[in-house]
Amino acid sequence: MSGTVAYEPLLLRNIDKPGSGTIDVYLAGGGYEGLRRTLKEMTPEKLLEEVKASGLRGRGGAGFPTGMKWSFLPKTKDKPRYLCVNADESEPGTFKDRLLIERDPHLVLEGIILASFAIESRRAFFYIRGEFHKGARRFQKAVEEATARGFLGKNILGSGFDLDVTVYRGAGAYICGEETALLESLEGKRGLPRIKPPFPAIVGLYGCPTIINNVETLANVTLIAERGAAWYAGLGRPPKNTGPKLYCVSGHVKRPGVYEAALGIPLMELINDRAGGLLRADRKLKAVIPGGSSMRILPAAKCDVLMDFDSLVAAGSMLGSAGVVVMDDSTCMVGALLNLAAFYAHESCGQCTPCREGTGWFVKILTRLERGEGRAEDVDLLIDVASRVEGNTICPFGEAIAWPIDSYVKTFRAEFEEHVTRRGCPIGAGAFALQAASVTGH
Amino acid sequence: MAEPTQPAAPSAQPALPPAGPDEVALTIDGRPLVVKKGTTVLQAAEKVGLLVPHYCYHPGLSVAGNCRMCLVEIEKMPKLQIGCATQAAQGMVVRTANERVARTRQGIMEFLLINHPLDCPICDQAGECRLQQYEAAYGAGFSRFNEEKVHAAKRESLGRHVMFDGERCIKCTRCIRFCDEVSRSHELGLLERGDHAIIGTFPGKPLDNPYSGNTVDICPVGALTLKEFRFKARVWFLKDVPSVCAGCARGCNVNLATYRNQIHRMTPRFNAEVNEYWICDPGRLSYQALEERPRLAAPLVRRGSSGAAGPHLSAGGESAGAASAVTASAGSAPADAWSGALDAAAALLRGVAQRSGGQTLAALVSARLSVEDLFMARRVLHETIGISRVAVPAHEEGDDDRLLIRRDKTPNGRGAALVGVGAPHAGRVKEILEDLAAGRVRGLVVVGEDPIGDGLLTEAARRNLDALVVVDWWRSPTAEAADVALPSCGYGEAEGVFVNFEGRAQRVRAAIRPAGQADPVWRILAALGNRFGLSGDYPSASRLFDEVASSTPVFAGLSYRALGEPGVRLKEA
Repeated sequence: MSGTVAYEPLLLRNIDKPGSGTIDVYLAGGGYEGLRRTLKEMTPEKLLEEVKASGLRGRGGAGFPTGMKWSFLPKTKDKPRYLCVNADESEPGTFKDRLLIERDPHLVLEGIILASFAIESRRAFFYIRGEFHKGARRFQKAVEEATARGFLGKNILGSGFDLDVTVYRGAGAYICGEETALLESLEGKRGLPRIKPPFPAIVGLYGCPTIINNVETLANVTLIAERGAAWYAGLGRPPKNTGPKLYCVSGHVKRPGVYEAALGIPLMELINDRAGGLLRADRKLKAVIPGGSSMRILPAAKCDVLMDFDSLVAAGSMLGSAGVVVMDDSTCMVGALLNLAAFYAHESCGQCTPCREGTGWFVKILTRLERGEGRAEDVDLLIDVASRVEGNTICPFGEAIAWPIDSYVKTFRAEFEEHVTRRGCPIGAGAFALQAASVTGH
Repeated sequence: MAEPTQPAAPSAQPALPPAGPDEVALTIDGRPLVVKKGTTVLQAAEKVGLLVPHYCYHPGLSVAGNCRMCLVEIEKMPKLQIGCATQAAQGMVVRTANERVARTRQGIMEFLLINHPLDCPICDQAGECRLQQYEAAYGAGFSRFNEEKVHAAKRESLGRHVMFDGERCIKCTRCIRFCDEVSRSHELGLLERGDHAIIGTFPGKPLDNPYSGNTVDICPVGALTLKEFRFKARVWFLKDVPSVCAGCARGCNVNLATYRNQIHRMTPRFNAEVNEYWICDPGRLSYQALEERPRLAAPLVRRGSSGAAGPHLSAGGESAGAASAVTASAGSAPADAWSGALDAAAALLRGVAQRSGGQTLAALVSARLSVEDLFMARRVLHETIGISRVAVPAHEEGDDDRLLIRRDKTPNGRGAALVGVGAPHAGRVKEILEDLAAGRVRGLVVVGEDPIGDGLLTEAARRNLDALVVVDWWRSPTAEAADVALPSCGYGEAEGVFVNFEGRAQRVRAAIRPAGQADPVWRILAALGNRFGLSGDYPSASRLFDEVASSTPVFAGLSYRALGEPGVRLKEA
């Protein structure tokens, strides 16, 4: 074990308690005290200042400062404002929001009420991934419990502040996690990302100013209201990487799961100490995706990195959704990339040209490579086509496929070339990926 | 080449012209310009003559921003921006053709074509296809795609007029947006995802709105084709002649596409004041009547009618069977046929006037005729021959809709009123026909109308006529029953002016040569008038219109040249 201090969980403090998820357990742990105090002592502006001062950055993927996002709302109040909670957690390798929703929904709900108070929204929508049946049920129950206890509805805790929360289940599309596609879907339309600008803060849900926040982000707002911005800003690696973070560790480790640590935990500590190290002692670490499938892959040699927003950018990747996928040396990088490419080809919404056409093309090239039908020029072709997708699409989906393609091929170029020269996979580990690609119809 | 200057700013730009309060000044490819606030980069570039290539953008539809062909570089913005959605801003520096933009466009072209069938040799769009145009201008000329393409339906009927080829489609969604925003009928949607995404109709709701053909016009590729035009002609053989639709009182501006003296299709021609970019389906297909109906190709004179009128022409007699009508010209030269038929018509009318009195002559004149035709109808029928009762039948059907379609199906009702023939008036027509049934009208001249076919004039009543002279382009039931039928030009065969329901005078053009011996109505009427002492020289429709302009105050100062392509809104009208 390394020398880190034992970490006292904040976001996951309730999940293992008997009866976790019920309002009684939540209240017994001091729940809704932050809300009570805030409504009593603070104005919306003051709470917004607190969140700004905390340094909280969005936990959905981009790491944008939450308080600043809220402050983009127009000053005029001629239209209603909406808070939309992005609970469409679909990024491969990511499963942190699901845990919060299922096991401590009130921690999230309290954050929703606080955020709505700060941005002066009277209506919040909880857009939850369609496949999260259990989560949707539990969250709906939490909304009902909170309403019954006066934390939601009219005149919350006598403050004069009203809020209703509507739980809305998505219909099963990765793209609906993109915030403007989410809005379209919520409006009952096909989930296609919108052109930006205008940004949702100006023209969002039903044409009204809208803030979209991730589930984990809102759980952090609860913590800030509970213990104050100054306390929060001291966690992690201030000033720009503050607070606790949930990391989803999967792949070739002994104990895959969600681990909470302050922002900036070393990646190797996360893998070795928290997740129990590599699954098999006779294997070596080959590569890690640090932030969900859309982020650039890090080879083992670059894994000596701190898990926070800025450190990972410096290392050439991003924290993203903090979905940490660990690959040992039994992994075929062509097969791994094919598996991802098949996912993206299946999930591309089909709206804009580079993504619609590029994602399918990647699958076809990678399938041939994995089958031993690759051509020498395919390796550079992958990189070049990715460069023509990146930056040219309506939404960040373009980068989400271009970055893995570019980073896998460039980082493991020799392995890709070997697939051509040896007419097949030298590792023999691509069968699953080939199957995945064929299932998606590519 | 390390240049120690700071990034972006150094590009020496020409000084910006001053911009007003509602304007912004910017430079595009080094050209300074001032545009109104809210103008997009794409539109601004257009103003200085620069094409920013695009598929999904259409000026008559909302911005979708999905084709990505119009990506341009804007200083201080890290990513390329789409010209169709990015608004011009003060001091903006735009580059639409540098290496970075060119490389991106080349990439977009490659993406658009990897799953495209490249079946140009059998594609109706070939020759007017944006994929072809832009590949030639911006593409690499070859593809690095060596895989099996995605396959989709090659001919799927979306509705009565529109056929869909799913493989050619580039998902620009212009057709979907048209149905959502213009026709507001919402038949089309994008189905499936990724490169399997496909345009389709919703179950049980085919693309059958009255404007469906516009989706074909705005489809930038060969995905949507018009059933009535498919495989009819290669577009590079077609010549577009600007004209005006005669289907109703709107007067939508159109192009008549002709090849080998035949109209092959009719497409909308932009006119901001009339129809913008659109036309309705009935209008689009209205030219087909020219091919479908039996043509009156030569003058017809009923046997026994050619000489001086006699009592044998009255009720009954040999006029009972239309089959007995023969061309007076059988075997003779067209000029003789015309002159014989006109002489016969003149003699018949004169005979009625002499026997029964001039007040027993009447005329029905169509508001489907041009201003020139109607002007001549008044001059000849009313002023020269002395027919006091001239009426214009009304043709109404359905209701005005919120887009283009008018209940009034005559294209020149306003024109008829303005030249003094009178507006379409069902009541006046009815009076004449009642008098005819009662035997008080003995001679009738019908120009461009079909009272028998329209059920206004019965066979029994027709027997009361001692003279029925018809001028029309087809062998209508009325023409078949005529004593003399004179062949006129059909739609697209003669030029003239229509005045639409809003009082806009617009030019109709001759796109093809008249069939057989057909002549413009005004010339036929002038020739008839000559036989009643009409003097004057009418060499062309244009000169005739000059006379209309000089003698009719509302048209004062106008000429074909002055009307131009978009027409002129008449002041008083």
